[in-house]
Amino acid sequence: MMSGAQETAITIDESKSGRKGKTTVVIDKSSSGKKMKTTADKTALHTFKPLPHPHARFKKGLAIFDLIFRLGAVAAALGATAVMGTVDQILPFFTQFFQFEAQFDDLPSFQFFVIANGFAAGYLVLSLPVAIVCIVRPPAVGARLFLFIMDTVALALITSAAGAATAIVYLAHNGNDDTNWNPICQQFTDFCQQTSGAVVSAFVAAVMVAFLIMLSAFALRRH
Amino acid sequence: MKSGPVEYAVEAAEHDSSSSSSPRRGLSILDFVIRVAAFVGTLASGIAMGTTDQRLPFFTRFIQFKAEYDDLPALTFFVAANGVVSAYLLILGMPLSVLHIIRTGVTKSRVLLIIFDTVMLALLAAAASAAASIVYLAHKGNPKTNWLAICQQFRFFCRRISGSLIGSFGAMVLLAALIILSAIAVSRRPRG
Repeated sequence: MMSGAQETAITIDESKSGRKGKTTVVIDKSSSGKKMKTTADKTALHTFKPLPHPHARFKKGLAIFDLIFRLGAVAAALGATAVMGTVDQILPFFTQFFQFEAQFDDLPSFQFFVIANGFAAGYLVLSLPVAIVCIVRPPAVGARLFLFIMDTVALALITSAAGAATAIVYLAHNGNDDTNWNPICQQFTDFCQQTSGAVVSAFVAAVMVAFLIMLSAFALRRH
Repeated sequence: MKSGPVEYAVEAAEHDSSSSSSPRRGLSILDFVIRVAAFVGTLASGIAMGTTDQRLPFFTRFIQFKAEYDDLPALTFFVAANGVVSAYLLILGMPLSVLHIIRTGVTKSRVLLIIFDTVMLALLAAAASAAASIVYLAHKGNPKTNWLAICQQFRFFCRRISGSLIGSFGAMVLLAALIILSAIAVSRRPRG
């Protein structure tokens, strides 16, 4: 709407290509140019109002999901560490030189498994308060980004540990003819069962942490 | 009486791709460079592990002493996983990364890349550690389980498989860095 020569009018046209598109402000300066009166639409003014934080409920829902899966990952990682760390089987027979005993620190891969899963489980427990902060204050991007980065590190740790232990557990079950490595599961049945269970639990924890990372990516996108 | 209208075009900051902030473009270029490095690392590892083959000059009546990557299932998994990751980087990762350099405003494909990178990181980590486990056994053996080290006889094979782990572990670190870079790029949208 253009007024007469005595007024200055600012016309704001909302472009049709979406609500965040171009907004053209036409300032028509008259020769007097003293007062500036805006005769803009109500809808156009809406783009200049400070918005309340959008997507807050969406991010809150994601954060609640995040907490649930984090609890699941804590349970899985702690379970894997505990089961592998406490496995101990002593066979009822022995020779003159040594007693047949199998523990997790007989195999370096299992040692790495216990240490790495222990670190990851400890981090996951410590990240529970940060996840609660993300629920209570959805706009907190720093906390979300911190969780994302540390979750990536935890994923790498857990999958490394699980992969290394899987190789050894596979050998314990099947052995290898070309390298003359014999399977030990026939004698150490309980040891084999417990270590296999720990490896499965570690993979479950890894899947949950991967899901946590994807949740965080979606939450970060809506920033 | 009207002087010519002076038009000020006020563009919302969100979908701005032509005058994009240079930190964003720098992040995208860094992303592409790291992706190329990870591709080279995984490809080299897969090829180094897959082409190793050593036959010993003596044999018994029943078996010939040879060592190849498909004698050990963990090494087979390593070669396969490295192949998958390098194929993903070549076909999906690098083209999408180039797209992000050209048009820095898109976030949907960035999130897609984050998801795929996470899956590939997990796969590569599992494969690299499984192979590392076997390589360690090949070097040191294990007296408790009566598994003997084979590196004394198969020296060339042992050196090859040990060296091929390096590229894979390096690519793993690079993939983790890629995921974090993508997350920073996604979360860095300026609010108008």
